[in-house]
Parts: sequence; C-alpha cells; structure tokens
Amino acid sequence: MMIPYECFFKIFNYFRNDYKNLFSCLLVNRQWCRIIVPILWSEPSRDFSDPRLIKIYLLALNVEERARLTPFKIIFPNYPRPLFDYSTFTTHVGDLYDGIKYWLDERREKDNYCTQDDESANAVYDSLVTMFLRTSKKLKYLTLNRAFNKIIFEDLCINTTITCLNFRSGYLDSKVIQRLNDIFIKNTTLSFLNLSHNQLGTGEE
Amino acid sequence: MDNGTSNSASENETITLKSCDGIEFHIDARIANRYTLLNNWNGGESACIPNVNGKVLEKVLEWCEHHINDPQLNCGDDDSRRRNTIIEEWDENFLSCDQDMLFEIILAANYLEIKPLLDLGCKTVANMMKSKSPEEIRSAFNIDNDYTPEEEEQFRKENEWAEDY
Repeated sequence: MMIPYECFFKIFNYFRNDYKNLFSCLLVNRQWCRIIVPILWSEPSRDFSDPRLIKIYLLALNVEERARLTPFKIIFPNYPRPLFDYSTFTTHVGDLYDGIKYWLDERREKDNYCTQDDESANAVYDSLVTMFLRTSKKLKYLTLNRAFNKIIFEDLCINTTITCLNFRSGYLDSKVIQRLNDIFIKNTTLSFLNLSHNQLGTGEE
Repeated sequence: MDNGTSNSASENETITLKSCDGIEFHIDARIANRYTLLNNWNGGESACIPNVNGKVLEKVLEWCEHHINDPQLNCGDDDSRRRNTIIEEWDENFLSCDQDMLFEIILAANYLEIKPLLDLGCKTVANMMKSKSPEEIRSAFNIDNDYTPEEEEQFRKENEWAEDY
C-alpha cells in the first residue's frame, strides 16, 4: 500500500475505539504497528479493569517504584522487556483499582501466597500512578481513587500535561483539600478538577 | 437555495486543468473555488498538476462535480462524521474500483487537499479492514509479514487485552 503516513493514521483512527480491529491491524506488519500502538495505547480501556493490561503497565515500573512493593511480597512474573514503552502513549488513565485487584488475585492463585488485600492494592496503585506521571508524555486525564502520597502530590504539582484531574477518593478532609488547592495553584496545565463522588470529612466515625 | 457554500463563481464559468500526462479538463470554476489548491493550476496552457495522471484526475474531478452542492463543513464540526464509517451509496459505487485506483485517488486527494474525498477514501479502506484477521488483511492488501515469529508472539501477548473488546 503506497500511501503516506498521515493517510494510514487517518484510516486507523476510524478504529480508535474499536480495539479488536486495531488489534488485528497491528499484527499485520511492523510499519502498521508503529502507527497503531500510539492510537491503541492512548486510551487503552474505558475502565482499565483488565489484569492483562495492568500487567503490561506494571512492567514499566522503575527500580524505586518496584522497591516500594517489596514489603507486600508481590512477585512479578518473568517477562521480557516490552516491545514498546506503552505507557508513554497513554493520555487517559481511568479507574485502575479493579484491574489491580484482579491482577493481584491472579498472582495469588498462581504463586499461592497471601497478603493483606487493600494494602498491597494501594501500594500497587501508588506505584502505577507514579509511573504514569513519570513516563506518560501525553497524559491529559487522570482519575485518582485514593488520597495521594507525598510523591504523587509533588509530581502532580510539577506535571505539565494533565488538564483534567478526577479525584474520587471518597472523602475530602481539610488536609486533602489543602493539597488539592496547592496542586491547582502550582500546576500550570490543570484546568478541570472533578470532586464529585466525594463527601466532606475523613470517612471515620 | 442556500446550501451553505461560499462559491462566488457563476455556473457557466470554467477553468482548465492539465494532468501530469498532459490531458486537459475543463471544469466548473465553482469546483476550484471549493478546493483552493486546484486554483493553483488554473490556466492549463503551460501549468500541469504534478503527480496526478489523467486517469486519476478524471475520477477526482468526477467526484468533485457530483458533490458540488454539498454543504461545506467547517474544521472541527466534522468530528463525528470522521469517526463513523457510513458511506453513501453513490460514493460507495464510485470507489468500488480496483485497489490501485483507490490508493491513487487517496494520494491525489491528499496531494490536492480535497479533504472530504480523502476522508471517504480512508473510510473505504478502513471498511475493507473491518472484522478481518491479520492474515486476511495481509492477503487483501498484499502485505508481507515482516515480524519474526517470536516477536509476533510477544506482541500478541502484550496487546491481547485489546482482542477481547
């Protein structure tokens, strides 16, 4: 097919939300895959609940992000270095929690180990979000399902791509509100902060 | 009737275009008015459109003539149109030519900046790929698989989440 790159891009864009078709096209040859991977991984899922997707993203964690998971005895499967740095193309990061929980369940079944659910899920969550903030050059929409730690807070303050932050930790206490306020002041690209789905207070009786 | 176009040329005005292999076409000036790049080669005497031969230019101009009264879309408001892959019957028949010609039309539409025709051509190719396996796409478009088997397998695994959508 002797047509220029921009025409290929246009053609594959018709399948932007049709992942199955994109999947077939990207296995056709190398040239196509180089065009399709950025499209497919831009918004790879509506809900990020597929553990296979979480697995690939976890391969992008750096040494520090992995080290933070050591106390939870999370065993990473042996896998060769991915063919692309997929997270760099991601523009939308939605609710990661279900996918993480499914992934942990799978690991537990395979490796037959037990650890406290919520804590390990939270640790994986924090490491993944840190990784996205470090690697995604085009990240625009980020959903946060829990109050951020210091690293994520600082990364959000200096991030220069995010325009929309969807904060859904459930509860807003004064400390969180202060931090969100700081992020909004320091971050230069953030223009939309969604706080619905939260209640005022700490969530403790 | 106000059809949303801003053509100022009258119906009887014609301009002359010449393809790269020297074939002349006398077309309604309103066409060149819509697709400003065509105006660059108006006059035909010495100027000819590089890269587009007579056979392809004839098809392109046939399409332009058929769509001469279409409302012109502004940038930005055609996003939903661009995303859906529905094609009108006339256009479908028009582009049910052989594959080489289809790609030549896409190339020419791209080169001449005739955006609606370019969109239509790309949409047609997208429809030809729809619901096909990688092997079927390769054979439909005569494409060689240049992955190594190991690479293809790894790539399949890394993207398998997309297959089940």
